[in-house]
Amino acid sequence: MSEVTGTAASAEDRSSLRLLTHHWRNMPALAAMLVLVLPLMAVVLAALNGGGDGWRNVVETKLFGSTLTTLGLLALSAAMMTLTAVPAAWLVTQYRFPGRGLFEWALILPLAAPAYVLAFAYKDLLNVAGPVQSAVRDLTGLGARDYWFPDIASLPGAAFVLSAALFPYVYLGARSSFVNQSVCTLDAARLLGAGSKRRFLDVALPAARPAIAAGAALALMEVAADYGATSHLGVESLSVALIVNWEGYNDPGPAARLSLVLLTLVFGLFYLERLLRGRAGVQATSSRWQQVKRAPLSRWPALGAMLLCGTLVLLGFILPMARLVWIAVETQIVPDDFTSATRNSLLLAGMGTAACAILAIVTGFAMRRGGQLGRASRFAVSSGYAVPGSVLVLGAFAIIAAAQHVGLIDGRTVVVSLVGLVWVYASRFTAVGANAVDAALARAPASFGHAARSLGAGPVKRIARVELPIALSGLITGTLIMFVEILKELPATLLLQPFDWETLAVRAYNYASDERLASATLPSLLITAVGLVPVIILSRALSLSRPGRH
Amino acid sequence: MLKKLISGVTASLLALSLIGCSQDDDTSFEAEERVVNVYSARHYDSDKAMYERFEAETGIRVRTRQSGASQLLETMRAEGGESPADLVIAADAGTLWQFQEDGLLQPIAADRLAGDLPALAADDASWIGLSKRLRVIVVANDVPEDAIRNYGDLADPRWEGEICVRSSRNIYNLSLLGDLIDRMGPEAAEEWAAAVKGNFARDPQGGDTDQIRAVAAGACNIAIVNHYYWHRLANSASEDDREVTSATRIIFPDQSTGGTHRNVTGIGLAASSPNTEEALELIDFLLSTEGQGLLVVETGEIPLDPQADSMAGLDDARNAATNSAPLAVYGRNQAEAREIFDRVGWD
Repeated sequence: MSEVTGTAASAEDRSSLRLLTHHWRNMPALAAMLVLVLPLMAVVLAALNGGGDGWRNVVETKLFGSTLTTLGLLALSAAMMTLTAVPAAWLVTQYRFPGRGLFEWALILPLAAPAYVLAFAYKDLLNVAGPVQSAVRDLTGLGARDYWFPDIASLPGAAFVLSAALFPYVYLGARSSFVNQSVCTLDAARLLGAGSKRRFLDVALPAARPAIAAGAALALMEVAADYGATSHLGVESLSVALIVNWEGYNDPGPAARLSLVLLTLVFGLFYLERLLRGRAGVQATSSRWQQVKRAPLSRWPALGAMLLCGTLVLLGFILPMARLVWIAVETQIVPDDFTSATRNSLLLAGMGTAACAILAIVTGFAMRRGGQLGRASRFAVSSGYAVPGSVLVLGAFAIIAAAQHVGLIDGRTVVVSLVGLVWVYASRFTAVGANAVDAALARAPASFGHAARSLGAGPVKRIARVELPIALSGLITGTLIMFVEILKELPATLLLQPFDWETLAVRAYNYASDERLASATLPSLLITAVGLVPVIILSRALSLSRPGRH
Repeated sequence: MLKKLISGVTASLLALSLIGCSQDDDTSFEAEERVVNVYSARHYDSDKAMYERFEAETGIRVRTRQSGASQLLETMRAEGGESPADLVIAADAGTLWQFQEDGLLQPIAADRLAGDLPALAADDASWIGLSKRLRVIVVANDVPEDAIRNYGDLADPRWEGEICVRSSRNIYNLSLLGDLIDRMGPEAAEEWAAAVKGNFARDPQGGDTDQIRAVAAGACNIAIVNHYYWHRLANSASEDDREVTSATRIIFPDQSTGGTHRNVTGIGLAASSPNTEEALELIDFLLSTEGQGLLVVETGEIPLDPQADSMAGLDDARNAATNSAPLAVYGRNQAEAREIFDRVGWD
């Protein structure tokens, strides 16, 4: 297919979408957006009332430093994640080397482990009294104050831990782009004499940039919103500062304002990225898919590839998990009964994911359509994702109070708490699914819709038979990730959990905050084990997926 | 493959939500049984055994919401008069004071309890102590005997670069400084805080256990911690943990000059408590010798009841002289303590 018809087809396809969405499809998208942003809107209202001494104190003592800290965390982890995960994705998609098949899926394993669990493990491993530094002292005979050792409880330390936990987002984005890139483009580059380095830097990378940026955006929003890991490592980012201030001064108003600062910062950065990318886009002009022919790597490059991928898996998953298992064994911790906590975690994650999935489909379609509604949808899903869960709960509290006030609900029952919690999950995590739906729709060759049209399919049929299945294929990935993310969610669950509804994440956090890491190991390992199931399904789906076959 | 996945995932999600709904129905039966709703900032597995014992004895079911104290405070505040909470259990008088200040608690009437009200309580008994904890000094074994006897000694410049302590945002430090403000006056307390800050070995990080481990590892020689963290290490199954305690020792400060700073794990009666009778029965149980033992056996705290069991090796702590100021002082001086910490730069 020539370039001209390719673009024309996609434009036409979009206009057909617009035609029928004008009438009835705006409503669901608007409703979904309202559901998504309502908690945040309630927070904005709270922020307007958040002045006074508390806020003045924040501005004078914390605002500047915490903003710099958040910027530093974002910059460092962005660098760490992209410089490792993108090359790793390129290597596993384009080359053959020992262990490649294993690494291709093992590289997403860190998704199963919450960042705060990694923080527990790394702080224990690397602090002055931990096994690593003790070994250093034993080997060298030096005292604890006679040598320099990188401090894990520091900004770079926190960036390292967050990157180790979140790089799979970047890897997934880059990988899907490299796999789906037309082999023809790369073959053409090869025929034109471009070496492997140039094919990567000048052909594949620019084409993959939007996907990498999307993956990095998800990871960086998590970084910006993270509370558990960052606070455990004693780093006062904006999201930590807002909660510390909220607790310290018993006033959620300044916290609401700080969350707006955080939001502005994050959106500012994404806007900047988009601005820098400019209007440059890469139009996939060929839909001729071929089996990717992976070039074999010779000995040293292969070793380098194994080393890079192996290190990532080791640091993001194996090492911290092994340490937790070791602690559990060493302290002979008596396992408590975690069946009800596991059941609660699964139930909440299930209900939350269901809500997210529905909202993601609706907003994902709107996002692909573009225009004002699309931009608004993009903003609606992303805004919740960049805000710590505890801030959204603040909004949920306000909404529940208002509903109670007007007599819509009667008292604070388990159901109210559960609905509130699921709502907050939806507001927080729909971005993952919506982006996946959007990406799937974007990747689908425009000719699909075109063919359906020429076969006489009406707009409704085209949506039902062509676009919806494509969107669902994207949603599968999104759903699995959202499930794992909700499983790991902590701050909102801590605030809104109903009676006797403790989840694994809450158990792990409660133990750790009581300084009983040994007891925290079991629920931490259990969350990871439960999270591994969807992550492994995801990796299986990934390694089976080929271009043109979703 | 894909279709199967989609239908599989959808089916399991549906099933999960259905189970979720049937879960909710449980609550409709609860009106008939006697329950007490506890908001607890304590997270010990032994608490479960404690509540089960209470249930077995009284037939009253204990339902808990376990979270951090500040999350519980925020939740209760949002719930207002609708809150299902009957009781709040939290460590540190300063924390319980925050609940009291927010009007979330009501006085516990002494004549409705089986025994006497404990002396360690809020002025109006809207919360009462259940067990005691001491804020002590842990030093490396090579710190000379008698080199440190009082909190005031920590301000001595000879300890420059020797002190490890956690963040000043932690309530334990806020209450300690609140106590010292009461003992020496705000100016002297600020001088003390500034001097101690000047003796830091490192910026505050981690919890109390981390400070003890840092002393054992040689990163500093002195730590300010709650006593039970040391005792838990001493009773740990891990040999490494026990080695930490054999390399260090506890000093109970101010034995002849006002006493070691004591604090409590306490319980408050919620202002809107829907099950007050049941709540008072649980308080009775927790103050009984049996309840006291169950409360502290895993935590290493000191029971208020001298007859009650406690963790092994606690004799010195149980016999130490403690300060006598009313616990309400810690709460009243909390804001000033926070300001002092901010001014002297103790993060």
